[in-house]
Amino acid sequence: MTDLINTPRRTILKGAISVSTLALVAASGLLLPQRLLAHWPIDAFNAESVEDALLVLLGQAEVAEDSLLQFKVGSPPSYAVNGASVPIEIRSELKNIERVAVLVEKNPFPLAMSLDFTPAVKLPFKSMIKIREDSLVIAVIRADGKLYKTSRFVEVDIGGCG
Amino acid sequence: MGLPSKDRIRAKLKAGDTVVRLLLSHPMHTGRAKNKAEELIPAEFIQDIRCWRNNEEVLTIKCGTATSRNPYFSFNLVGGEQGDKIAIRWVDNMGAKGLVETDVK
Repeated sequence: MTDLINTPRRTILKGAISVSTLALVAASGLLLPQRLLAHWPIDAFNAESVEDALLVLLGQAEVAEDSLLQFKVGSPPSYAVNGASVPIEIRSELKNIERVAVLVEKNPFPLAMSLDFTPAVKLPFKSMIKIREDSLVIAVIRADGKLYKTSRFVEVDIGGCG
Repeated sequence: MGLPSKDRIRAKLKAGDTVVRLLLSHPMHTGRAKNKAEELIPAEFIQDIRCWRNNEEVLTIKCGTATSRNPYFSFNLVGGEQGDKIAIRWVDNMGAKGLVETDVK
């Protein structure tokens, strides 16, 4: 009879201990680097599918796939000899841009970069990214609570995620 | 950092806006590549780049491992005039930091 009563009590105690240990570890500063980089959205960058990364980064919103967003990948467009540095260029006349994201569908971690805009910033934005193999490259802009999404298929001769 | 930075930045007025071009010097290891001894090179990549114009924070760029080696960025800032101070600070996943500054020309 005593056993029956005590077993759940023990589990409860154990649970309480592990929670408080975790709290201690967190407080002791072992997690400090993460806290300093608290603004780096680790879940979005570690997501292994485009959908997950977008959901974490931009949340649920109405997706408008349209021509308000111009996106160029590779030079000449849609082709890259070396996947380790593929030029990208995003242009748009949209107002109130909050966030811009670039994703490569076939990369181990699709999210390549994410930009947080203030009203002082204007497109075009240009950069270079790594692409592992022939893949869709996706650009997403969040503006006024809506998502604008466009994609380009890029052929890569030498994969660039080594 | 004691070493002189190899990071480069240019900021120029063009049609009333400021064009900022930035070239950082960083290996951007993904953590997947191997060296000649077939050992994995640990991940080392820039995660966070922030841009200030005259003490006002204007842009944050967050990078994953898919940003190229020696990352290049170009973007525009609305308006601006000659002599505006543009400052970029970056930090990588190992905690290394950098600061690059320039005046708008």
